[in-house]
Amino acid sequence: MYTSPSVWNVTGASSLQHYYPLFVLAIAGFVILFLGTLRNSRRVFASITFGALILAALMIASDYNAGVIVPAYRINSFTTFFAILFIISGLIITYPALKSIRKKGEVFYALLLFVTVGMLIAAFSYNLIVIFVAFEAVSIGTYLMTGFSRSRRALESSVKYYFVGVLSTSFIIFGLAYYFFYFGTFNLVGSSALQANSTAGLVSLAFLVAGFGFKMALFPMHQWALDTYDGAENSVSAFLSTGSKLVSFVIILKLFLVGFNSIHQYVFYFFLIISIASMTYANIAALSQKKVKRILAYSSVAQAGYLILALVVVSFTTSATTISYAVAAAMYYSLVYLFMKSGSFLAVDVAGKDDATLEDLSGLGKRSPTTAASFSILLLALAGVPLTGGFLAKFYLFLSVIQGNLWWLAVIAVINSTISVFYYLRIMVYMYARPPKENDTFVLSYKMKVPVYITAAITLALGLWYPVFNWILTLSGGLFW
Amino acid sequence: MLDLGWFIFLSPFFGFILILLFGRFNRHLPAIISSASILVAFLISAKIFLGLGSGTVYQSYTWFYGIHYGIFIDHLSIAMALMVSFVSLMIHLFASYYMGRDPNKHVYFAETALFTAGMLGLVVASNLVIFFLFWELVGLCSYLLIGFWFFKPNASAAAKKAFIVTRVGDMLFLVGMALLYTYLSPYTSHPLSIPYLISQSNISTIVAEIGRYRLGLVAVLLLGGAVGKSSQFPLHVWIPDAMEGPTTVSALIHAATMVTAGVYLVARVFPIFLDSASFSIYLVLIIGSFTALYAGTLGIIVNDVKRVLAYSTISQLGYMMAALGLGSLIGMSAVPFSIYHLMVHAFFKATLFMAAGAILISLMDLRDIKKMGGLWKRMPFTVSLMFIGSLTLAGIPPTAGFFSKGEIVSASYAYFLHYKTIASLAPYLFVLFGEFFTALYTFRMFFLVAIGRPRSYLAEHAREAPIWALLPVAALAVLSIIFGLFQHGFYSYFVPSFFVVAIPPLFDWLPLIFALVGIAVAYLFFGTNRWKSMKIARNPFYRLLKNKYYLDFLFTNIIAERVIHPLSSAFGRFERGYNTSNEKFGQSVVSLGDTFRRLQTGVVENYLTFIVAGISVILIIVLFLGGL
Repeated sequence: MYTSPSVWNVTGASSLQHYYPLFVLAIAGFVILFLGTLRNSRRVFASITFGALILAALMIASDYNAGVIVPAYRINSFTTFFAILFIISGLIITYPALKSIRKKGEVFYALLLFVTVGMLIAAFSYNLIVIFVAFEAVSIGTYLMTGFSRSRRALESSVKYYFVGVLSTSFIIFGLAYYFFYFGTFNLVGSSALQANSTAGLVSLAFLVAGFGFKMALFPMHQWALDTYDGAENSVSAFLSTGSKLVSFVIILKLFLVGFNSIHQYVFYFFLIISIASMTYANIAALSQKKVKRILAYSSVAQAGYLILALVVVSFTTSATTISYAVAAAMYYSLVYLFMKSGSFLAVDVAGKDDATLEDLSGLGKRSPTTAASFSILLLALAGVPLTGGFLAKFYLFLSVIQGNLWWLAVIAVINSTISVFYYLRIMVYMYARPPKENDTFVLSYKMKVPVYITAAITLALGLWYPVFNWILTLSGGLFW
Repeated sequence: MLDLGWFIFLSPFFGFILILLFGRFNRHLPAIISSASILVAFLISAKIFLGLGSGTVYQSYTWFYGIHYGIFIDHLSIAMALMVSFVSLMIHLFASYYMGRDPNKHVYFAETALFTAGMLGLVVASNLVIFFLFWELVGLCSYLLIGFWFFKPNASAAAKKAFIVTRVGDMLFLVGMALLYTYLSPYTSHPLSIPYLISQSNISTIVAEIGRYRLGLVAVLLLGGAVGKSSQFPLHVWIPDAMEGPTTVSALIHAATMVTAGVYLVARVFPIFLDSASFSIYLVLIIGSFTALYAGTLGIIVNDVKRVLAYSTISQLGYMMAALGLGSLIGMSAVPFSIYHLMVHAFFKATLFMAAGAILISLMDLRDIKKMGGLWKRMPFTVSLMFIGSLTLAGIPPTAGFFSKGEIVSASYAYFLHYKTIASLAPYLFVLFGEFFTALYTFRMFFLVAIGRPRSYLAEHAREAPIWALLPVAALAVLSIIFGLFQHGFYSYFVPSFFVVAIPPLFDWLPLIFALVGIAVAYLFFGTNRWKSMKIARNPFYRLLKNKYYLDFLFTNIIAERVIHPLSSAFGRFERGYNTSNEKFGQSVVSLGDTFRRLQTGVVENYLTFIVAGISVILIIVLFLGGL
């Protein structure tokens, strides 16, 4: 039943110009590797990376309506939106990462660029094999980035990440095999008609979600994430919990909205359980945490649970407006999440310690009011407090849940975000209500503070600038073609 | 482009901000800024007044869901704006003397400037929601200013009382507004816009669509707000206590402007009252006239000079309300009848309060009139001003009070002649006897203050205030004498062919006769030494008055202590139990988190097992739920 040879024809497409952004990033990566043999100037590498990412972002943005290049590679408003998000997640950590790289800076930045190429392909691709390869490129690159700083903790976290990743890869391969077995194609677009009510296809679904979902750190695939986010450098944690997590999310979105017929009881229950379990488990587990990065890691698991709510809705409802609303809400959530999460991971750098506890943040409000205020904005956004982007993101997401007639699920989600307020506010309590310690280790250089300021400002601006959502609503339509 | 009218209230608001920013740097700056900004507001009002002709100014922008914010200036609002800005300016000028040595002068002037901005904003608001926001703003300023000397326990208690009592009215107002919005929103896109509500053509559609009784319900609820703000019976209990604030605050807020906001509200949406079921407007009449008499009787036994004036304010506000209540006979002419008295009252009551303020400064805040006496000789100018104010208050010709109040009394006799029922006779009797009591308590106070021999050391050594400080008071006193000239012009400015009261001449003069009798009685007892030998402490009527008809007792001791306090403590107990159980629940959740953390072993084999086992369990549950 092997029907579509053109699927493999990725580079032989008629118009090569649509791949230029990928070439830019890849070439920049090799240039950096080459320069690295001559001299080790990390700032230059960072600047090249930054420039290449910006250039690629501009090229992608200008090419957003290219349409179907080959069946496996589609450039539309939806994929472009996520591609830009991935590039931003790389941009955010480009300069903050300088702090943690002592040697072989060229390798780190080349890896960052290669990983970004993988993420872009994963965003644009509508073919499971291509997605799989891109996903593996992201995985392998991030294994290395995690272990880059060579501290014991980083190495350990990298190894854990690697083992879990290997297991997930095997899941994905199983899933792919079943997918091909039932549908006779790896293409997502053509297959939806094939499996209108195919119970058998759900086997492949389970494997694929388990495989791709591990990077999203969904329950029960979340445990590596806590150790890895905790052990890795802050900039790498920021990248893992935003860019690489959203890659998984976009893959799963495409898998279920384009590939599978999404209205199916099993799909609904599956995502329902995963979503509720992720939210509840992570929010409750975070309550008793003392380490700041672990709190943020748990919060990241919970946020993945919120994101998956969109899939719960689309697998429950048949109304086209509700589906596109839910997708737009998820896109908006991803956008806000990108800034608030990476910003808060980078803010932990200020504590100046590898293993910062809440105590290490005490008195930040006195030592650097602006940093504390920015960090507070990010935390409040994560908690979903009004006037921040996090509120609007949660608002639209929960609204879409209610639109899908799942008000009880919205109640569960709201209760969960109420629980989460406790641990976010606890960080703020330490920052403001506790006096600074005598021997505090704060590192308050501008390199540490500026990324926090910028992300906080953007999070705040997103909360005040309502029309963004309507704009995203128009973009969400791209998913279906 | 913003209309000039916006700056009527924006100018004092900018003044407020400037005082906040720079007020503390110079002792004189706050008074100068606030007076200047209010002068600007007055000049703008005057310019608009001259250019208005027979038209209106209306400019508004959409806020949300059919709620517009903007300004609406017609003859009613421009007249109010002129009065408010002028009286406020005069009081600010006097306050620069009265508050001269207060260390928190900048706070005082900032708050009064904000108050003036709020009051002017309320006057020109184009929408009931905006009206309500400004209404609350002036309420807040009133609260702050009553408690301005917060270190006096009486003052802070009085501030709280004022805030809470008016809140009852505000609640009714809010409910009325919400009802009106619900009723009207199916029929129009801007249900609470004032120009929409008061236009004659619209009001008949409104009545046709929602019915007279439902509109009457709205009117009664709005009246509830007015009763709270204008301290009508039974929500009048807060004003006498509010006298704990600085005297200029009493003059500005609790005599001339803010308390008239309730009357203004009724006048503003008067077509609603006119065209709804007749019970609403009769309620206005009966509440107003009853308050006029009721507060007048309370005034005759009070010994605190400011409290006498406070009761007289309540009583005069009752006259204004009663005038509006006559609308079922005299139609829209009720509005100028009422507003004319409102303006005259603002002039003479501000005069009286400021004269009293000058006396209080000289007597070191001794407020008991029984300890004064003989002040006319020692402070001739101040007490003369007070005399003019008293004459106007009592309604003696040729002062404006004679015209403004006499017209209301006569019109209510015409009302009785027209309906010829007991229900229409009662208001007339109330306002007529109100005249007598007004004259009685006014001149009791005046005689005790002004003539006879000084009855305390302080009164013996009273000294005149500087002449520059009394000039603004004199300006208001002059206005309260000559304003009567403009009576008919004022009426026709509102309603070109206003209602002409035609009753037998005897009844025309009856109010004056009652007032003169009142003065005579006052002189008989209080102009001489006879009052000292009166034994009234056991007189039941005296005790009734002394206890303010037991209304405060009812509110505080019965309703508040017996009903609300037990209720709130029961809620409190529930709250505490709820909180403890919440805490317990929270603790158990946190310890659950601890358990979860122990699952996080840090051993990667366990993680892999967890993934495989977890996915399997979830799939089994899914199959179970999906019914395979």
